[in-house]
Amino acid sequence: MNIYKKFAALALAGVMAVGLFVGCSGNYGSETTKDTTASTTAPAAGTTAPEASTSAPSEVAQPAGTLDAPITVVSREEGSGTRGAFVELMGVKTDDGDMTTDDAEIANSTSLVQSTVAGNVNAIGYISLGSYDPSAVKALTVDGVEPTVENIKAGSYAVSRPFVICYKEENLTDLGKDFVTFIMSADGQQILTDNGYIAVNDAAESYTVSGLSGSLSLNGSTSVGPVMEKLAEAYMGLNSGVVIDIQQTGSGTGITSTIDGSCEIGMSSRELKDEEVAEGLTPVVIAMDGIAVIVNLENPANGLTSDQIRAVYTGEITNWVELG
Amino acid sequence: MAKFKETAMRIVFLLAACVSIACVVLICVYLLGNGIPTIGEIGLDNFFGKTWKPSKDLYGIFPFIIGSIYVTAGAIVVGVPIGLLCAIYMAYFCPKGLYRVLSPAVRLMAGIPSIIYGFFGLMVIVPVIQKLTGTSGKGLLTASLLLGIMILPTIIGTAEPAIRAVPRSYYEGSLALGATHERSTFSAVVPAAKSGVMSGVILGVGRAIGETMAVIMIAGNQTRMPGGLLDGLRTMTSNIVLEMGYSTGLHRRALIATGVVLFVFILIINTCFSLMKRRDS
Repeated sequence: MNIYKKFAALALAGVMAVGLFVGCSGNYGSETTKDTTASTTAPAAGTTAPEASTSAPSEVAQPAGTLDAPITVVSREEGSGTRGAFVELMGVKTDDGDMTTDDAEIANSTSLVQSTVAGNVNAIGYISLGSYDPSAVKALTVDGVEPTVENIKAGSYAVSRPFVICYKEENLTDLGKDFVTFIMSADGQQILTDNGYIAVNDAAESYTVSGLSGSLSLNGSTSVGPVMEKLAEAYMGLNSGVVIDIQQTGSGTGITSTIDGSCEIGMSSRELKDEEVAEGLTPVVIAMDGIAVIVNLENPANGLTSDQIRAVYTGEITNWVELG
Repeated sequence: MAKFKETAMRIVFLLAACVSIACVVLICVYLLGNGIPTIGEIGLDNFFGKTWKPSKDLYGIFPFIIGSIYVTAGAIVVGVPIGLLCAIYMAYFCPKGLYRVLSPAVRLMAGIPSIIYGFFGLMVIVPVIQKLTGTSGKGLLTASLLLGIMILPTIIGTAEPAIRAVPRSYYEGSLALGATHERSTFSAVVPAAKSGVMSGVILGVGRAIGETMAVIMIAGNQTRMPGGLLDGLRTMTSNIVLEMGYSTGLHRRALIATGVVLFVFILIINTCFSLMKRRDS
């Protein structure tokens, strides 16, 4: 009796071990993808984006054929700056409001969108171009235009949005003013460019160290946050007596807390609404960011028109076949 | 002096006891104070309606309530049989050597942060379901499987001591009547531990309905009514976490009101739990 039990227990343990092994090896690919997603820093991804978007299609060349599968639409949550900009630019938002299909999966961060798309052949999603990792996912051309820095600057790539900082003139300290000056200077704009965003002030002068000290608080968009950390780091390196505290809570929260004075400068990844400007905020566009429409590396699709993207996100088109 | 020490320490203990009560009261006051007027402002029809579109002032959380209930039910279907059988095994069948491994393993399971479970679900369960069903792999089935695993330690941890606490005489009496070891365990001991086992299940339900981070990663989070086992859905907890960061004004208050509904659910579950306990003693 006892021997049978022991045998059964051993067999069970064996099955579990084999299962674990199979499960892990089966997912080895997606796990490594995930790792690169996490470890590739924004600057590397941003600077390699232009070449990669041209070479990626040839690497996974499957010229003939499309997927015959339902599209898994991946979107961001309501209120996200990226979603706000995307639905507006793609025409998903009509007079009736945001018409994103109810069948869309909702991911609450850029990295979750990217890893979801990396793990699902049928998925389509959108992320900030600065966070785009060509080794994990493939960015589609929109209306035949590749999502590159040059194209966004030239205005031919349709899906781009401003990064904005805002402050109340009367609440802004000398230090805050100087930090804004730094961001808009050649040095600050260079940092933005290095991170894959598009500088707005090409003719900027270089920054002269002010030697101010004190502390400064920023709050806002999770898209602007990472590059703002880099800007703050550089600024604190130049002015050793300064401490800059950056909270990443989302565009909406950043703007509200700038209005109520709990932080000095707010960060937003969309343009400020009129009623927000009416509260006394001064918006400053510090850079432009593209939104990359991404699909799985194994997906044969290379480009879509903005009308097709709109139809996918409103749920009019639900199968890859319909996209030709 | 000794008298003074005595009183001082008594006050210290009293304060410590009051902190937890004060927390509960504060949370209740905050939630209800913010939530109930909001529900009034939104309107019962709208608030328990089927459409959630904050941009259009539609705050229907009915799909999320259903989502929470479905996911919890799924977790029970997956977790309770496994947990219960595991508890019985550990109490009455397990060899000593194996017990020494099994018991810490179960306790370790309880200590794993839920985000790790979520990551495990995203990287292991989602691709498997994706391959088997041809859907996106995120949805009710995946969430039920993962939550079923997550509530195991809660169920086992409560059910096993309850089964052990049944007087040995029940088991021995059954044996004396000629029943086998298995029959005695399942027909005499386990029924006697019924209320303890049920408490474990109810605690598991509480854990499942309150789980957030793991569910966000694997449930799909669609705002529509869940239509089937493979459909994505959103629970009340994930709704709050997903949109809290960006929401303002009425949208934010609607999320707090979602919290009120969740709170009511937890209250119901806890009341069940204490009723069960009272019947026990």
